[in-house]
Amino acid sequence: MSTATQTLTGTPWKQGIKDAIPLLGGYIPVAISFGLISVQSGFSVLETILISAFIYAGASQFLFVAMAASGAPLWLVVIMTLLINARHVVYGPNLSPYLNHDKKWLPLMHGLTDQIFALAHARLPQLPDQARIGWYTGAAVLAWLSWVAGTALGAIAGDELTQRWPLISDILPFALPALFFVLIIPRCNNCLWSMTIFLSAVVAVILKMLGYPNVAIPLAAMSGAVLFYALKNQRILGGE
Amino acid sequence: MDMSMWLALVSIAIGTYLIRLLPYIWMKRSLAKRQTEDGIGSMPTWLTILGPTMIAAMFGTSLVPTHSDALSWLATGVGILVTFGVWTRTRSMGLPILFGVVAFGMVTLILPI
Repeated sequence: MSTATQTLTGTPWKQGIKDAIPLLGGYIPVAISFGLISVQSGFSVLETILISAFIYAGASQFLFVAMAASGAPLWLVVIMTLLINARHVVYGPNLSPYLNHDKKWLPLMHGLTDQIFALAHARLPQLPDQARIGWYTGAAVLAWLSWVAGTALGAIAGDELTQRWPLISDILPFALPALFFVLIIPRCNNCLWSMTIFLSAVVAVILKMLGYPNVAIPLAAMSGAVLFYALKNQRILGGE
Repeated sequence: MDMSMWLALVSIAIGTYLIRLLPYIWMKRSLAKRQTEDGIGSMPTWLTILGPTMIAAMFGTSLVPTHSDALSWLATGVGILVTFGVWTRTRSMGLPILFGVVAFGMVTLILPI
């Protein structure tokens, strides 16, 4: 698949599945961990699978299980988990220029995770209008199924899996930074965008290392956007 | 799981879905309205900047290894360099990721021996 040119081999949904395969390296090990932790926290296998199927948001699922197991008030559990997902508010609007008025897009928004957004943001503009819904369906359904299946695997046999193949959970998740890297690197085609992307990534690394993984993405993205505006205004003022 | 826990689960599931859905519907309507008003249905500039910076931030957070030791950082650095090297040659998505993961895995597995 080219990130620069418009190419479609086979049907759109097959291409969507193909493009989403790298996500599995990140999704499945994390889903297995979630399944294991959820069962250990007192949820049944079925409840664990339903949590993954319906909430379908990694960080907030871990928080939900941890807070519920610790006996936190449920209203607080609901607020905190939704706050973690608040960053998703910018995803739909960013993709909307590339989506047509088909009503099928409405249920498909359930699959709009961080990774699917990043993938769709890079791929949808390259695809013909009529191929986009098929492509998105293939990519989003594969990602969702892998998350639910990984959760089930973790809930049923997570303990044994992590003991037998401990490195799987260490190595495969590297597919995620590699994926984000190839999605964002074509954007670094001028100095302004290169500096913006660089700052966003560095701030995110620092915040995550300081122990703020949940606010790292929105704060880092906003700091990058502030730099973008500052440099752009400076350029405009300098040119006057 | 008792009834109150089910209620919390359903609230979070619906809330998360609405967080993903409502802004999309709002922007779709806003674009259509602008198009009928002035013929141009463009997005606000801040939103077009926030999209790529969000992806850059996701890259940053996913880059931090689970075990933050020198070997993990070295493997991460090598993995990203290899991903970049293959990407510059192929300008594709699958191969750079595959080679990046293999390079990361090799450093993780071989160097401790």
